[in-house]
Amino acid sequence: MPDEYTALVTALKGLTQGESPNTVKLPMAEDEWNTRPDTVSYGTVRLDFEVDALHGDNVKQYTAYEGSVDLYSLKRDGAGWVALITAALTDHCEGCWSLNSHQYERETGLFHWEWAFQVEE
Amino acid sequence: MAFSIRVDGMNELVQKMQKLGENAAHIAAQGLYDGAGVVADKVSSAVQGIATEPFKYAKNGQKRKPSPEEKAIVMNARHGIARFRNTGVSVETSVGLQNAGYAQLGGKTVPIPKIANAINSGTSFMDKQPFMRKATSTAKAAAQAAIEKKITEEIEKYEL
Repeated sequence: MPDEYTALVTALKGLTQGESPNTVKLPMAEDEWNTRPDTVSYGTVRLDFEVDALHGDNVKQYTAYEGSVDLYSLKRDGAGWVALITAALTDHCEGCWSLNSHQYERETGLFHWEWAFQVEE
Repeated sequence: MAFSIRVDGMNELVQKMQKLGENAAHIAAQGLYDGAGVVADKVSSAVQGIATEPFKYAKNGQKRKPSPEEKAIVMNARHGIARFRNTGVSVETSVGLQNAGYAQLGGKTVPIPKIANAINSGTSFMDKQPFMRKATSTAKAAAQAAIEKKITEEIEKYEL
């Protein structure tokens, strides 16, 4: 795992420790684990794939990975977590992330935010 | 689903193209066609790499993978290059499933982009497999190289 990614996961999980904007805590999980249907909001963070690599001396010197942060919320405004996650991503790096999509699931009533970010090892 | 690859820079080529006048847009479009082809090929191979499992209902917060039927719909849908748009300062196109139409799934008529979006972005009950994002991110360098190559070739024809 790249160190940058580990730091980002720690930062995102740290959001749940501090003062949250409402009484519900956000379980921020890595990879496939989620805690639906107990909570109003929950999030996942994962590395998706390798984007590019710079090779030298027959080994990979630098590797760029792309990952994504997902936020699911029953509240239209994301119960305040959107701003917190955006701030955490900006603290991590200013230019390496973007809001990839924002959509609504009619079956479950969940609002879904998806951020994509790139990290380097 | 908007994943954009924007090619700018290439200062030498831009300077040469300024001399071409009306033909510049035509040459840019030819280069773009080659670059878009690279991306479309990547998308096609990424669609074939989607992992599936037999359909089941995801219960108790579990997640499911797309069923083979859903994958077959996305695979057989049109994911090609859209009509080129000349905006005056740039030439644009898109690769994707925007106009892929509708499909029959489980007795319902479902828009194909919706199925592709659920696989690509994931939902609260489906695994995320970002095939479009993977295709566009990894094809970026190859697409840019293809565009440069084609434009250089075409400019040489006019210089003779």
